[in-house]
Amino acid sequence: MRLALALVLALAGAPALAHKPSDSYLTLSAEGGALRGQWDIALRDLEYAIGLDADGDGAITWGELRARQQEVAAYALARLTLRADGRPCKPVVREHLVDQHSDGAYAVMRFDAPCAAAPQRTLEIGYSLFADLDPTHRGLVRVQHGTATASGVLGPDRPRLELALGEASRLRQFLDYAREGVWHIWIGIDHVLFLVSLLLPAVLVYSARAWGPAPSFAPAFWDVFRIVTAFTVAHSITLSLAALGAIALPSRLVESVIALSVALAALNNLKPVVLARRWAVAFGFGLVHGFGFASVLADLGLPRDALLVSLVGFNLGVEAGQLAIVALFLPAAFLARRHWVYRRLVFAGGSAAIALIAAAWMAERIFDLKLL
Amino acid sequence: MPRLLFGALLCLAAMHGAAAPRVPADAREVLERLPIRPADPIAAELRSLRAVAAAAPADPAAAGALARRYFALAMAQGDPRYVGYAQAALAPWHQADHAPAEILVLRALLRQYRHDFEGALADLALAVQRDPRDAEARAWRAAIHMVRADYAAAERECAALVPLTDELQAIGCTAYVKATTGQTREAYLQLRDALGRAPQSGPAARLWTLTRLADMAARLGDTAAAERHFRDALALDLSDNYLLTAYADFLLEQHRDREVVNLLRDWARADTLLLRLALAETRLGAPGAAQRVQALGERFAAAGLRGERLHLQEEARFLLELRADPAAALAAAAENWKTQREPRDAMILLEAAHAARDAAAAAPAQDWLARTGFEHARMRRLAAELQ
Repeated sequence: MRLALALVLALAGAPALAHKPSDSYLTLSAEGGALRGQWDIALRDLEYAIGLDADGDGAITWGELRARQQEVAAYALARLTLRADGRPCKPVVREHLVDQHSDGAYAVMRFDAPCAAAPQRTLEIGYSLFADLDPTHRGLVRVQHGTATASGVLGPDRPRLELALGEASRLRQFLDYAREGVWHIWIGIDHVLFLVSLLLPAVLVYSARAWGPAPSFAPAFWDVFRIVTAFTVAHSITLSLAALGAIALPSRLVESVIALSVALAALNNLKPVVLARRWAVAFGFGLVHGFGFASVLADLGLPRDALLVSLVGFNLGVEAGQLAIVALFLPAAFLARRHWVYRRLVFAGGSAAIALIAAAWMAERIFDLKLL
Repeated sequence: MPRLLFGALLCLAAMHGAAAPRVPADAREVLERLPIRPADPIAAELRSLRAVAAAAPADPAAAGALARRYFALAMAQGDPRYVGYAQAALAPWHQADHAPAEILVLRALLRQYRHDFEGALADLALAVQRDPRDAEARAWRAAIHMVRADYAAAERECAALVPLTDELQAIGCTAYVKATTGQTREAYLQLRDALGRAPQSGPAARLWTLTRLADMAARLGDTAAAERHFRDALALDLSDNYLLTAYADFLLEQHRDREVVNLLRDWARADTLLLRLALAETRLGAPGAAQRVQALGERFAAAGLRGERLHLQEEARFLLELRADPAAALAAAAENWKTQREPRDAMILLEAAHAARDAAAAAPAQDWLARTGFEHARMRRLAAELQ
């Protein structure tokens, strides 16, 4: 009897692997100073380990799982250790969800794992989930750090995994943040339009209630120089203050005032109120735009041990992006300044269009609508 | 690590292509159905085996009984989690060479499951050394030699079994070797007569014998007899993954796709059976077929992510018949042949090579076919076309 069983098993066992063995999916991301994660663990495994089916009907409901969330988190997190650069990070569950994988339902925990120091060079993962219950269990780990992804498989045979988070040199960080700065000014259409609205009249002069071409390049250049410098100085001040946590403004207010600044700058071209002192306008509103940049930087996250390098990098990136725009704009505008296309279409038409767009933004941001 | 990384990248889609995590709105929503209810007799049996093993952690008999039960469950339901639980029960003897024979045999069983045939044979050699009259260890050795296409060694184990066991089982062993090495008719008649002489044999022995008889009859061209043997085996009402796989393949060969769907509808959890179900539904153009194929692809991807490819034979068939990718199927079939050399492994290698028009890649299967004289009309036809 036992022999026949042995033969059946031998024949069936070798070629016929079925189902999926037990896996959990652990995703970690080290962005800026924070370590965040998501951990998907099969309900069947949790049922075997700590019991979920409270009423014993062979079906696990959301209610049954929810009632055991504390235990699930405690059980799982006690079997996971995270260390960044040799110093511990302590996971705290942020939310509990569920998901479906190819072999059934999984409990999903999203967690934050604040570290003693921001993850820089290495991330060490110690994994012993279900090691005592099912030696074939594996933890499939994926770590995202910036744009890089690393992955590995953990289990009882391999309970530790150390992943290099890549070169985190100061220069590299500086360049990363500078690139983000450039990128943000290019895609930050409201900042670009504000600047363009102020720059459009630089190649023109206003006299007798009409715009005419500027006689030479030098005054146009210095006009642009003053405006760009004022804008830069202003937003650098507030960007730094906000990034360092010295001042905080509600983002809806900031975004609304930014939209207002764009609208006013564009309208000022159509019906000039401020002429020679446009640099002062650039400075005043530049202060507000700085808060806008700061919120981007907050999303990126600033590494605590490389705060200054990253801040300066980001700021210089913004300036470089800005200068690139000016370098493209100024020569082209100067050459075209005498042509009616520039004055009628680009200057007047462009300013009107910008004013309209900015007005729509303002409405959106003030009233929290979606128009564009 | 680079290989794993590559695999991981390939499989990121599978891993994270799951539906987005959500918070169910209704507390009564059923998220998962367990394969065994706490009130089922099997659950009670497992609970008591676990309790006995936990009370005496150093007792090989208690641990062995628990591991054996879990392994049987894994085979019956096709669920590898139970293999893991069996392995956990044997943890105290994980590496020990001084383990009792009972534990060594179970450890070999788990090792062969992971395709560690060398390790399994080493454990079984130790077990036989300790007790030369251990019929189970000998039977397992025969089975592993068969998987590795070492028929002379398998025959020796069968001969050694004769004085250790009853007639049906001894003949079963020999007949299995003979049927694989070109003497199917003789093997069939011997085994059928032996079964007739043993009406008192247990259901597991009958199940094994009937499944083998069905396979032999089908290859001899006696479809009616094969059908009868399969039906008799199914009538024993033992859930058995191998029987369902063999019967589904038999039905698929005859394009009885609708019957495959009826047979396997509730077995989608087992990869081997999901493959057959997906094949049948795809042929029928069933509405859920694409979903089955996708689920199967995700499972293979998930296995790849673990760095394990234990079911390359099925993966090759999946790639060939459901993904229409002969090149990838051939690569999987060739890789599979390195460790597994049963008739079905030769078959998929031939099929994939035929589809990929790569006669050279089929050489190992051609050699095997020439060496064994295995009787299988379609395989012979494929082999001839490839030459």
